[in-house]
Amino acid sequence: MIPFSREEREWFLRNLAKGLLDYFGVTEPPVQVEDMLKQPPPIYDADFGVVDMYSNLWDATFARPPSRRGSIFVRIDLEQDERRFALAREMLSALITSKHGRALGLPDLLLPNLRESAEYFARYLLIPDILLDAYRVNGGKKRGFADRFKIPAQIASVRWAD
Amino acid sequence: MSMQALNQLVARSIIDPNIVQSHAAGQIDDVIADFEFAPEVRKHLGGLETNSFAEFTLLAYRVVKAAEVPVRSIELPSPAEGLFGDQDQSDREHVA
Repeated sequence: MIPFSREEREWFLRNLAKGLLDYFGVTEPPVQVEDMLKQPPPIYDADFGVVDMYSNLWDATFARPPSRRGSIFVRIDLEQDERRFALAREMLSALITSKHGRALGLPDLLLPNLRESAEYFARYLLIPDILLDAYRVNGGKKRGFADRFKIPAQIASVRWAD
Repeated sequence: MSMQALNQLVARSIIDPNIVQSHAAGQIDDVIADFEFAPEVRKHLGGLETNSFAEFTLLAYRVVKAAEVPVRSIELPSPAEGLFGDQDQSDREHVA
């Protein structure tokens, strides 16, 4: 893999998110990330799934049991906005490790900075530029932003400043 | 135009297996013909040799960025410069 910059990686991630948003025809917040996982594009039938779990160790994690469908195992007691962000973040692992993702070459590009890439991807999946621009044009303020997009306040603050 | 086309290509690649298959088969030309790249950019992209589609997109990003001509603002002379110019000329006439 050729060396690449953070800017290039982030550009790529924004377009990955855009590809999914375009496929699902998302036009307004909140982005229904759980629906995306439960009714994925056909190419990810073996990679997207959601399993609720009781856990105190993590909010969500993607796993691919041998010979079974990959799924995001998510804590059942998370707040809805935290759950949405955790699912969006872990979706990147599902993409990277999928058959199609490996064919694209995603592991070489995204695994070295997986956590950072996954959080960046999640922010742009849940708050795409086009919806953020529309929110601002319509007078939306930073206050109320997290609530409109149904995301954790801390994530909203980072995305607002992106 | 080309950056928009490249963004669309990357976005579509995440759900369209035909794109990566065409790249693997050395037929990326067939794919990029469907997007509105500038002719010289398209020619350059068709000649890129890469190990994966992800790598292709990174090199394509560099090609497209390098080909982008920054939009220049209209450069009108400053009114102040005009006044100073007249003043200079007037001074020279007085000296003569």
